[in-house]
Amino acid sequence: MFASGTQKHHWMFHSTEEIVLLRQEANQRFVGDFGKGMDEQTRDKTFLTAEEEKLMMQHFEFILREFCKKFQPTMPKYVQGTALTYFKRFYIHNSIMDYHPRDLMLTCVYLACKVEEFNVSISQFVGNLKGDRDKFANIILGFELLLMDKLHYHLTVHNPFRPLEGFLIDLKTRQFKNKPDDVERLRKNAEDFVERSLATDTCLIFSPSQIALAGIIYSAAESRVSIDSYVTGVLMQKAPNEEIKKMANQIKKLKQMVKHQPSLQRDLIGPVQRKLEACRNQANNPESDTYKRRLEEMFEEEEEERSRKRQKVTEQEQRAISELLGNE
Amino acid sequence: MDEQGCPRCLTTKYRNPSLKLLVNVCGHSLCESCVDLLFIKGSGNCPECDTALRRNNFRLQLFEDAYIEKEVDIRKKVIKDCYRKEEDFTTLREYNDYLESIETFVYNLTNNQDVENTKRLIEQYKRENKETFQKNRSKLSKDEEYLAMLIEEEEREAQLRREQDRVRDMNEKNSRKKHKEELIDELMFSERPASAILALHNAANTTDHSSAKGKQPFPKFSSGASWGFPTTDGTALPTLTDQGEPYIYTPCELQMLGPDPPSESDVQKKGFLKNVRSASDAERGGGYEARLACQRALMEAMCGLFLYQDTSEPMT
Repeated sequence: MFASGTQKHHWMFHSTEEIVLLRQEANQRFVGDFGKGMDEQTRDKTFLTAEEEKLMMQHFEFILREFCKKFQPTMPKYVQGTALTYFKRFYIHNSIMDYHPRDLMLTCVYLACKVEEFNVSISQFVGNLKGDRDKFANIILGFELLLMDKLHYHLTVHNPFRPLEGFLIDLKTRQFKNKPDDVERLRKNAEDFVERSLATDTCLIFSPSQIALAGIIYSAAESRVSIDSYVTGVLMQKAPNEEIKKMANQIKKLKQMVKHQPSLQRDLIGPVQRKLEACRNQANNPESDTYKRRLEEMFEEEEEERSRKRQKVTEQEQRAISELLGNE
Repeated sequence: MDEQGCPRCLTTKYRNPSLKLLVNVCGHSLCESCVDLLFIKGSGNCPECDTALRRNNFRLQLFEDAYIEKEVDIRKKVIKDCYRKEEDFTTLREYNDYLESIETFVYNLTNNQDVENTKRLIEQYKRENKETFQKNRSKLSKDEEYLAMLIEEEEREAQLRREQDRVRDMNEKNSRKKHKEELIDELMFSERPASAILALHNAANTTDHSSAKGKQPFPKFSSGASWGFPTTDGTALPTLTDQGEPYIYTPCELQMLGPDPPSESDVQKKGFLKNVRSASDAERGGGYEARLACQRALMEAMCGLFLYQDTSEPMT
């Protein structure tokens, strides 16, 4: 249930501005940590600005969607929706420079496959990638736990796809009793709308059913079918006028967000990406020496800890036995 | 499957269902007829490990695994030799050490590790604690005492019940006899018609019976828990001291944050199902109905519809 779940309680924000602010904070935190002792100018030159981060996010969201579309076996849309939601949630509190979106993007999709019960093994999953597949598998599995941790294990995501089906069924049954084909004609545009909404931050501000309803209303307007009486008469039957107005506002804002999404400025991507490679946190780069060293150290420490424990236990046992038997 | 069989004559349980496997101290099994044949003189050597064995030490193999059989045997012997109870130790740590050492002895003997040394240690242990062992052997352990007490108590209870039953039966018999006599007397001397007298007596009889039953409650059913344990500080079962806050059930409330979705009966009756794919036979076999998917979609469509996070006015 959306109304009692983690999505509503922890991952719904008040406005686009709030999200932008949070992302700026994450960016500032990173720059503050890694740019100690630098003057303003070198900082600007070395690190990405919040706007540049946004551009990178957009770019990788686009890649993520393309990857999902071409995925073999064919991936259901809700997996893509869940993966995108994870991706957006992750980079609200984390900077792009801290964790590279290329790594996290794959991890998001892989985790979404698991959570949405779209069963693919890791080898099948990396089979969809070009290049060193073992390396990708290691990256994905290495970041999976981190991703879940940063998402606070709030893994259930409510996507707008099922609500859309629900509205279509409801419309066919309660509103257009004798003309279900008319409703079916709304499907294409409504689905397009919902899919375009995935590229925006709507899933962090609006409930999935609102996005679905906006899709239906948009589609109805496109094909000149009136469903006002359904919205006001059936859905908001008992609601006061004020609430109907609020709902209308909500739908309007949604439509605006989906329609007026900024297009991707491809010519800017190249330089920003190079800048990112230079300034990213090497401790979280699976190919860097720092990362490898850290991993090794962690492993060694564990091993040491274990041998220390083992030694302690055997010593204790030895002492107890000699005490008990009283010899020597 | 691994068939259980005699290692010497290779007869298996499958070929001879009445096959009886016997085992001796060395832990190797032999079938009954082989034992008869080999140990005709009363003693001989184990065909597997050449240990000298006696015929009357053979006993029925209880476990399929001969290793376990041997382990159980050795354990019995070691415990018999070194029996000490928890009360004999001052601290729990000492008691645990004692148990641990017993385990070590059993393990060593079963796996033929360091046998001589272990035997020596057991002997030593035996000598050192001779008097405690003897004391323990003569004294019944606490558990046994408790069991004996339970049985005794149960017997007493049963006797009481029997006595009560007997008294009740006798009373009933007497009263029935009395009633009969009264009835006959009345029939003989009364002026009223016979049928009326009969009816009156029957009524009186039944009320009498029910009242008699009501007076004597059935002896309380006892499960043993209420008997207590007089030898220790009170109850037989451990009592819970800290029970915490009692759990209070509050029914789950469905949060919709939106319009009410059509109810289950509405979905079924008002034609919602016409607009969803009907379930195939195979799906229905697994307990699925088209209604479930339909209700879920409708529920999710309605849920959260009235969520207003962003209260700003839209741009015009």
